[in-house]
Amino acid sequence: MIGQVLGHYRIVANIGEGGMGVVYRAYDEVLHRDVALKVVKKGASLDPSSSQRLLHEARASSSLAHPNICTIHEVGETDGDLYIVMELVEGKSLAAMSAAVGLAPESVLRYGVQIASALARAHDRGIVHRDLKTANIVITADGQAKVLDFGLAKQVGNGIFEGPTQSFATVENTSSVSGTLPYMAPEILRGEAADHRSDLWALGVVLYEAASGRLPFEGRTGFEISSAIMREIPNPLGPPVPPGLWAVIQRCLTKEPIQRYQRAGEVQAALEAVQSAAIVSTGPTADASAPRATMLHSVKHAQVKKGDHLLLVGTTKGAFILRSNAQRSRWEVGGPYFHGQSVYAMAFDGRAGQHRIWVSTASYWGTLLRSSDDFGKSWTNPQQAPIRFPPNTGVSLKNIWQIVLGRPEEPNVLYCGVEPAALFETRDSGETWSLVRGLFDHPHRPRWMPGNGGLALHTILLDPADNQRMYVAISAGGVYRTTDGGSSWTAQNQGIRCTSTPDKYPEFGQCVHKIALHPDRPERLFLQNHWGLYRSDNGAENWVDIANGVPSDFGFVMLMHPRNPDCVYIVPVESDQFRCACDGRLRVYRTRNNGASWEPLVRGLPQKRAYETVLRDAIAADSLDPVGICFGTRSGQLFGSPDEGRTWQKILDGLPSVVCVRHAVVEDASGGLVPAAPKAASTPLRHTKSLSKSKTRRPKR
Amino acid sequence: MPVTFHIPGVLREFTAGRSKVEIAQSPTTLADALSALWALYPGVRDRVITEQGQVREHINIFIGDEHVRYTGGLASPVSSGSEISIVPAVSGG
Repeated sequence: MIGQVLGHYRIVANIGEGGMGVVYRAYDEVLHRDVALKVVKKGASLDPSSSQRLLHEARASSSLAHPNICTIHEVGETDGDLYIVMELVEGKSLAAMSAAVGLAPESVLRYGVQIASALARAHDRGIVHRDLKTANIVITADGQAKVLDFGLAKQVGNGIFEGPTQSFATVENTSSVSGTLPYMAPEILRGEAADHRSDLWALGVVLYEAASGRLPFEGRTGFEISSAIMREIPNPLGPPVPPGLWAVIQRCLTKEPIQRYQRAGEVQAALEAVQSAAIVSTGPTADASAPRATMLHSVKHAQVKKGDHLLLVGTTKGAFILRSNAQRSRWEVGGPYFHGQSVYAMAFDGRAGQHRIWVSTASYWGTLLRSSDDFGKSWTNPQQAPIRFPPNTGVSLKNIWQIVLGRPEEPNVLYCGVEPAALFETRDSGETWSLVRGLFDHPHRPRWMPGNGGLALHTILLDPADNQRMYVAISAGGVYRTTDGGSSWTAQNQGIRCTSTPDKYPEFGQCVHKIALHPDRPERLFLQNHWGLYRSDNGAENWVDIANGVPSDFGFVMLMHPRNPDCVYIVPVESDQFRCACDGRLRVYRTRNNGASWEPLVRGLPQKRAYETVLRDAIAADSLDPVGICFGTRSGQLFGSPDEGRTWQKILDGLPSVVCVRHAVVEDASGGLVPAAPKAASTPLRHTKSLSKSKTRRPKR
Repeated sequence: MPVTFHIPGVLREFTAGRSKVEIAQSPTTLADALSALWALYPGVRDRVITEQGQVREHINIFIGDEHVRYTGGLASPVSSGSEISIVPAVSGG
């Protein structure tokens, strides 16, 4: 066909041949540019409907303008020949570049980010590649990855997907199966429909291959390859592949689509996070000049032993670590750590045999997530802030409000809620963090408004019964829920009154101060609003008012009893103008009947001129029976109760303003965790004076 | 003459203890000089600027005695012999 003209394209040279057709270099005589032109062979297993579908998808793909996608200029038909005109991409295929030993991790990350970005654009427009593989990715001379054949891969013949440039493959024809089969997701092999997540699987295979030069699932026959894809775990990739990159690949290669990344944008963000970390760790003077850990010699440390109970106390001027035994009557104090810096979030991670304390520190010099594996004697001091917004967001981290451990079956997962309101997650124990784009890109986000403390995502609740379900609370944005592992989020604020907007029951914008749920009843949530106490019995579908007989329904705290799902604790304050204990009496309130009534718990707490405030995270419960509770106040006092709130004693005073209290038990000498106390039978209701008729302080409505 | 950075105590952990860092290249703007500083001591970067490349709100940078806020920000000119100070603001509670 050389020299012939198809439409207004003069064919110059043959540059490749596949089962479905021939690819030519051609010259566009109208626009005066070089193009690639694919002529689909007559009878290339395309029945008329397949041909129509190919045309339709190619047209859809032609709308994809993206620097990492090979642009389709035109699809046409002449004399029964179907032809596709596309950008002429010159370079080397990623398959050829990765052969044998793979590429340097920096290159894998660079190309991976570009490929994920291309997939994100296509998926946003409803186009799935279906045949992503290293042979379909060309790296140009200037280092740009270009994904070819978007939307052109079709299901033809016996159910194998292929691109028009690829050799036609069937299950029976194993000699050419290796061209495509190794990239197929398990759900495709099971005969289920492929969706955009099958592309993310293929991306995992591409990254694995690019990093190692090997395919993750290999075999001598199609059957062996299929079997490996369905059942086997790929061989781990060690150095020089950074653990963060391996974690991303592993998540792409999760057998169940629901447990993979749900969006290509998430993979892109995760790879960018690894990229940032890698840049720092390979910096020329990184090791010589800047320690990753800070040793603290002049600070008094608590001498922690196995079996000890810890209180992690974050304040506006530093962190403290308190230690006690199971009696919880005397506390040894370590700290202050990070003196002068505000510590809004702390967490203890005892999973997988570790005892790591996590802490967020904020000062003029930025906000950092840091950790200690020796109970505060040394802390990481990362050169680069581990949690950072990607450059294209235009947003900078102000504070980290909450650190939450992932589910027990995912010991490397943690979440952070930050200000400005966003959720970050790590899947490699904090080596790399990525922004949860599904929430960040929510159309409501531009209309969230900061509360008094800033626009913060301050609470993260994981549903223990459903690993795809999670709740977050944003002040002032409201409650948001995901049921697909974080890809998409919905506002769940029906029934929560908003005092700061003309519409008193808006879809979102509520200033939620705290939410809580019990693992045994994950569908039931409790909520302390900026005015208003609420409960939901249906996974936050709607909320009912439970401010029955409390002195004020304003407050910050909502603490779940660790064993009794009908019991929560609150600490009411007088109003949003006067955010202090009502009438100068410091009272904790408890309900043991889901909010039908509340009882004050005051024994041992100051009841005169105690204009105290307990902030949202400044309270914690332990796991003993009876449950111990500890809270800190804005005036720097720390109170504890060893008996579920019946009696209280002051543990410490003179601290800076307390913003965070967390409880932990250190692994005991036998190597196991101190067992939680046996589960109490449903706690009998005590005969307490009913307060349901007393007046609840509320704003005029 | 090189450009010299004066490093506050809190950041010396990231400059191998140095209170002064000389930049051998000949930067012409503050942004160039800072880039050279990050290249030598990467840990300083995130303490001084945000992930979006803005100087942190409570961090002040002076070229000589001039606050760069009034001389063009990161585009402020620097020349051979310039002394650049990184200083936390006086504020807080």
